[in-house]
Parts: sequence; C-alpha cells; structure tokens
Amino acid sequence: MNRNASEHFFRRLLRAILPLLVWLLHFIFCYGLAAAQCTPAGMRPGGPDRTAMGVATVVALAVLAWLAWRGRGVLARPGRAGLWEWAAFLFAALSLVAVSWSSVGILLVDGCA
Amino acid sequence: MNTPLPNPVPRPAGELERLEAVWRTRRGWRFLSSVNNSNIGLLYIGTALLFFVLAGILGLLIRTQLAVPENSFLSAGTYNQVFTMHGTVMMFLFAIPVVEAIAVYLLPNMLGARDLPFPRLSAYAYWAYAIGGLAFFCTLFAGLAPDGGWFMYPPLTGTKYSPGLNADFWLLGIGFIEISAIAGAIELIIGILFTRAPGMTLGRMPVYAWAMLVVAVMIVFAFPAVIAGTALLELERAFDWPFFIAERGGDPLLWQHLFWFFGHPEVYIIFLPAAGMVSTMVPTIAGTSLVGRRAVIAALVGVGVFSFGLWAHHMFTAGLGVLEMSFVSAASMAVAVPTAIQVFAWICTLWKGKVQRGAPALFLLGFMFIFVLGGLTGVMVAVIPFDWQVHDTYFIVAHFHYVLIGGMVFPVFAAMYYWIPLINGNRLSERWAKWVFWLMFGGFNLAFFPMHITGLLGMPRRVYTYAPDLGWNGLNLLSTVGAFVFALGVVLFAFDAMRTLKRRTQPVGNPWNASTLEWLTSEDYGNRSIPRVASSNPLWDQPALAREVDEGAHYLPQTATGKRETMATSPVGAAPRYLLVLPGDSWLPLLAAAGTAGFFLLLTMKLNLLATICGITAVLGTIAWLWQSDRGVEQTSVDVGGGIVLPVGATGTASHSWWATIIMLVVDASIFASFAFAYLHVSMRLQVCPPPGSSLPPVELAWLSAALLVAGSVLIWLATHSLGKRRMPWLALAALACALASFGVDLHGLRAADLAPSESAWGAAVATLASYQGLHIVLLTILGPYLALRGWQGHLTARSRATLDNIALVWHYTTLQGIAWLSAVRLVPLLME
Repeated sequence: MNRNASEHFFRRLLRAILPLLVWLLHFIFCYGLAAAQCTPAGMRPGGPDRTAMGVATVVALAVLAWLAWRGRGVLARPGRAGLWEWAAFLFAALSLVAVSWSSVGILLVDGCA
Repeated sequence: MNTPLPNPVPRPAGELERLEAVWRTRRGWRFLSSVNNSNIGLLYIGTALLFFVLAGILGLLIRTQLAVPENSFLSAGTYNQVFTMHGTVMMFLFAIPVVEAIAVYLLPNMLGARDLPFPRLSAYAYWAYAIGGLAFFCTLFAGLAPDGGWFMYPPLTGTKYSPGLNADFWLLGIGFIEISAIAGAIELIIGILFTRAPGMTLGRMPVYAWAMLVVAVMIVFAFPAVIAGTALLELERAFDWPFFIAERGGDPLLWQHLFWFFGHPEVYIIFLPAAGMVSTMVPTIAGTSLVGRRAVIAALVGVGVFSFGLWAHHMFTAGLGVLEMSFVSAASMAVAVPTAIQVFAWICTLWKGKVQRGAPALFLLGFMFIFVLGGLTGVMVAVIPFDWQVHDTYFIVAHFHYVLIGGMVFPVFAAMYYWIPLINGNRLSERWAKWVFWLMFGGFNLAFFPMHITGLLGMPRRVYTYAPDLGWNGLNLLSTVGAFVFALGVVLFAFDAMRTLKRRTQPVGNPWNASTLEWLTSEDYGNRSIPRVASSNPLWDQPALAREVDEGAHYLPQTATGKRETMATSPVGAAPRYLLVLPGDSWLPLLAAAGTAGFFLLLTMKLNLLATICGITAVLGTIAWLWQSDRGVEQTSVDVGGGIVLPVGATGTASHSWWATIIMLVVDASIFASFAFAYLHVSMRLQVCPPPGSSLPPVELAWLSAALLVAGSVLIWLATHSLGKRRMPWLALAALACALASFGVDLHGLRAADLAPSESAWGAAVATLASYQGLHIVLLTILGPYLALRGWQGHLTARSRATLDNIALVWHYTTLQGIAWLSAVRLVPLLME
C-alpha cells in the first residue's frame, strides 16, 4: 500500500481483478441503460436499446477473451504460477461465463414490460 | 530452516515479565475496560450467541403459533413483532456480529499479530453493539418492537400504516449497529493487510483471512446503501420528506433497491466467513492441504464481486423490466459457479485425506448437505417464472433457512467444537456432540424441509394463522416439532459449553494437529515472539516453529517501547516495515459506545434532553480517546531480531491509520453515492426536472460555495506543510471559516430557491444531499478546533502527525463531496432536458 514498499499492491490487484471489473461495468451499463430507458424521463419507443447492449457485450467478451488468452500460461505450468496469475486467469474464465450468460437475455427479451 | 533464527535463546531474565505486565488483563469489574482482542472477541462471541438464543426463542414462539390452524397463542399484532424481531435479531444482532466477533478473536493469532491495529475501535464497536442491541431487544417487552418485517418495506413502514415508534426503533437501532459493523470491517482490513507475521505473503495467508478480507471489503460497499436507506425512511417518518410516497413523486421501490443492494451481499457477508472457516477446518480434519487452494481464494473474491449484481432478484415480483430482471437472474445463477468451486474443493480435500472423525467433521458434513440443498433451491428461485410462483411463500422461508442455517450456523458450530480448546485447553464432549449434531441436523430438516411443500401448496409467509382445510396442518405440525428438536440440540450444546468452560485451564497444544498459527501458545500478549513464516501450512511445514516461538527465538520477543506493540508488515510480501505501538486498556471506548447507543435509542423515544446528553458524552468520550492517541514514544527505532531494525510508527501513506481513514472515507463516499442514487431515481420518474413549482439555487452561489470549499482545502494543505510553525492552528481555523461560509452560501441558495422538501420527493432528495454535506461541516467544526488545540499543545510533531494528515484527508473529502453534490443536482436536470 505504501509507494515506498515497491510491492505495487494496487497495480497487481487491478491486474488480477480486471476481468471482474469488466463484468461489473458490463452489468452496470446494461442494467442501467435498460432501467433508464424504461422510466418516464428516458422512455424509448420500442424498449431499451438492445443494439447498444449487444455492442457492449461484444466488447466485454472480446476484452475477457483477450485477458483469458493472456493468462493461459497458468495452465501450462499449474504448479509454478503464483496466486495473482491464477486469480487473473480464473476471473477471466468466470467473467466470460457470466457475461455470456447474462447476455442471453438481450437476444431473447425486448420492451419494458 | 537453514537460516538462523531471529533472536538468540535463552532470553534475558525479566523480558517475559515485562511483556506480561504490559498486556495483563485487569481483573474484576475493570475487565470491562479491556481492549485486547482476545477479551473483546470472547465477549463479542458470547453476546452474539446470546442473541442467537433470544432470536431462536422468538422462532419457537412463531412455530408454536403455527403448530395448529386457527391458533390463538399469539395475537396478530404480537406475531408481527415476533417474526420481525426474529429476522432482524438473527441477521443484524447474531449473524453479522458473530462472524466479525470470531474474526476479532481468531485473526490476530492466525496472522501472528499481538492484537488488531485499533483495539479501542474494536472495544467501541463491541460495546455499541452490545448495549444498543440489548436495549433494542427490550422494546419487545414494551410492545414497541418493529413489526414491518425484517426488510421493513414502505409504504407499510411509513407513518400512514405504522404510526407508532416501532419502526423508528428499527431504523435508528439498526443504523448504529451497522456503524459498529463498519468499524469492525475497517479494523479487519487493516489488520489483515498490515499486521501479518513476517513471511506470510498474501499467497501463504490462511484462506479464512482471505475470506474475512473479502467480507470486510464487501461490508464497506454494501452497508452504506442500507445506512442511506434507513436515513431516508427515518427522514420521511420524522419530517414528512416523501421519498417513498408515490403521490408526491416518491417511490417505494427506491427502498427495495437500497435495502437489497445491502441485503443480498449481506447473505454472502454471512456465508463467506463460514466458508473461510470450513476451508481452514477441512484440511485439518482431512490431514492434508486444501485442494485447489488458489482457486478457492479466487472463488471467494469472485463470489464477493458477483454478489453485488444479485440484489434485484428479491424484487422479481415488484414490476421491474423483464430485461433488467434477466440480467439479475443470470448473475444469480452465475454466482453458483464460484460457490461450487469451493464445495468441490472441500469434497476433494476430504477425499484425498484421511478424515478425523469427530464433532467438527460431523458439523462440516451436515453443513455441506444442508447448504448444497439451499444452494440448489437458490438456483430454482433465480429462475424468474418459478420465483413468481413461490415468492413470499414458505418455499422461500425454507430456502433461506437452508442457506443461512446450513451455510452459517452449522459451520459456526463446527468452528466452536474446533476452536473452543483455544480458550482453556478443554475440548467439548465428543459423546454429547453426537447427540447435539443429530438433534440439530434431524430437527433442522424436520422443521424446514416440509416448508418447501407448504410453500408449494401456497402458504404465504408472515401469516399469523391459517384455516384448517387448506392441507397445511400436518406439515406445519412437523415443522414445529422439528424446530423444538433443533432447539433441544442447541440447549444441550450450551450446557456442554458451560461445563467445558468451567473446567480447569490446561495447556492448549494442537489438539487437531492443525497447520495454522492460532494453535501456537498464546497469552494476553499473543505469541511469545512473532513467528517467521515460510509456508501456507506453517505448523506442518515448520515442525519446530511452536517451540521456537515459545522460547522467544522469533521476532520481537519483548516490549521494545514499554507499551503494547506489534509488527507492521507490507501488504503483499509481509516484509517488516515498522513497529506499531498499540493503545492500552481504557474506559473511554465503553463510555463513547454507551453514549452513542443512548443517543440513538433515546432520540427514538423523543427524550431529546437525555439523548443530547448521551450524544455529548459520545463526542467527548471519543475526543478524549483520540486525544491520547498519536503520541510519540521515546525510541525512534527498535531491534526486533534477525538484524532487522524497525522505525517506531510511520507517517503518511506508510501509516495504518492513514489507510483506515481512506477506507472510512470510501464508506462515506458510498453513503453519499446512495443518496445521489436516490436523487437520480426520483428525478428519472419525473417528466420535467425540476418538477413544477420547484427550482434550484442560482448557479453563481454554487460556484461561490465550491470556491470557498477549495479555499478551505488549500488552507488545510498549507497547514500540513506548516507543522511546528505558529501559523498551523490558525490555518486550520481559517479553513474552518471557509467551510462554514461555503455551507452558509448553500443554505442561502436553498432558501432563495424556496426548496420545500416535504412537497416532493425531488425536493427532499436535494435537501438530503445538502444535509449530508452539512453533517460533514459539523464534523469539520469539531475537527478544526481539535487540530488547532493539538497544535497549540505541542501534540503535533514530525513523528506524530497522523492527526493532521488524517484530518486533512477528511477535509479534502468534504470539499470533493461538496463539489459533487453541487454538480449532481444541476447535471441531472440538464441531462433530462
């Protein structure tokens, strides 16, 4: 936590949890957009903008796939990889599943009902 | 280990005696002034268990009432109070406190620290909880207990339908218990990241500590939502600010969003510590290291993050959009993946090792069986159409009791069987344990499994009785019998525990052959010396460690400054950084806590004079406590052994108190964000913003207010660079003048805009943001003169400047928050144009 400690705590932490943050941002964007476009103030004819959500999903999945690809090394050397590397890879895999799964709704559901 | 041990043995004569004298627990009534984590931890655990029993008795009252149809054992009104208090006490006074309490007791020993970094804060958190919680429980005896259900939905809990004080007791009582939980969370985060034994890297840290770290961070982000929610509902009840009244632009769903944004992570806040305990106990009883340890740690973090996307699955019948619900439904199912990773890791570990049969193993197996069933029904209710069918029925009651009792109560009982020997060296009876387990396990399933069926047959939760011809009679009677059988198991456990704790103290040893550091010999001062750790299973991989530590051959076998102290290490690699001097026992945290609890409870009863006296006591007690802190000691550096010479204390970003302040401000910012969300939510429901008849203050005044805040911050920044100079106190006072002037401008602007908070939810939301800023200005009004006084008294020096640095942080935060609220109230109408 101390910049003098040269441990780069926050940098390492951010690198490890980046996939979870991507999931979180994707969730907030999609939920927030759907909620806002179904209120009296932001009502959109035809329901929430599923194209924008679709684009956000493709971007999120691409980033997560890249993060998982970048961290694939832990599979080649499972015994030697550190906690941070393992966490980054697992989070990427978990977030890929979570974002793909959450996005099924975008394909199937429309309107504000 | 080939490297020489840090300190030579035998240790010099008198060294141990000095260490003991500094840490000795006072006897008799003075014990209550103790702040040591072992003492506070035991009091905390005991009080939490007391609330478990009390809320359990309420549960039995519920089951007695429902045993037969058309029962008149409890009236409808009393039943409402009983089920509300059962849920509230179980969740807020048992479940959250007990997991924090166990952590307060266990963590320092498990991490190789002598105590937590803020012992007086632990004592304050405990006493506020104990005094306030007991007084809150007593409202039941006066018929004043809350009766709107543990999640207190408005409009039922608004003044129209709940005109009495009952709801107010919930809102104010729970409010400060949450503050106590947050204080505990800050303590745990700093303790885990700053006071681990040298060599205990994050990778080697016990999984339980990981679980508590994740949970503490979750508390920091989840609890502010409910603090904000309770504040809004209390403002509505006290001043008629209509946040949740639809006719005046409010929205009852706003409460549900705020409550469940806390309420769902809360389920994991309760479960993850239990999961951490399980991950600590399972390797011991299997006699082998945890399978997939890194995956389990990652899963804990994953569950912690995903749990923030699940809140709205409690609101599937509230009329949210289908698309929003589909996201939440998917997230609710996705969280099963990291949870399953943990369950499979435990099964694999048990499979791989040779299981020591005994009480902990029984309760752990019981936990897995019940929790997995609860998890599976959880996935069922995450499916929206199924939830629509069973929402608010006994199916849900069955589901969450399987998750909570299975996921938390059984692991906590396993933990008590496992860790009680730490208290006086005696184990609980294995023979009785079998009875306790089978009564609890059998009784639990008998009580709650039939509820799945009663729910599917359509029995709604919270009804105080039912007609005899609905087909629910037999199932309800079975549930009641099961509840009493379960209770019998708990009573048997309580007798055994009392019997065991009365036995003569024996050497603790390592009765389960565990691998973690809490099984090193521990006294009031913790371990004789602070161990050097080289593995994630130190007691297995370093067989001589226990003896070496007891001999004083590891770090800091003495009190180097004549005060209580522990070693601060770096957050990732646990490299020694500085000597952290700890405060000693004191009555002040108890006094401040009693004042805090008294203030909230007496205010609820409208006893304003007494409440004010209590409030002043709390403030003065806290100031007196802080006044004693941040004092320099004679030594500038100490030799802790192994050629390591550490500075005494640290300043700025190297200091633990600086980071604790940052975390406190993150909590603060989250509360502010919740208020800002409330403002956004009510604004988005408008066709025109501001609503007709309302307006915002002139923009020039906002610029002036922001400029004054910035000027105050600049002055405080100058004060931090004027340490030891005569101008420093005056700079603090000038900064205060700027802050006060800024808020004066805000008030003038609001008056000019003729904002009437009781006329519309929008006006109330703006007034709330302004009031929260006002609260910070009040805080600065205390902090500014306090800082000046310390400067004049010579209590700010280059080595003890935490007061100055930390107050500066609060000051800059207030400036940022002021600019944020002034911008937010203007930006939203602009965006909506």
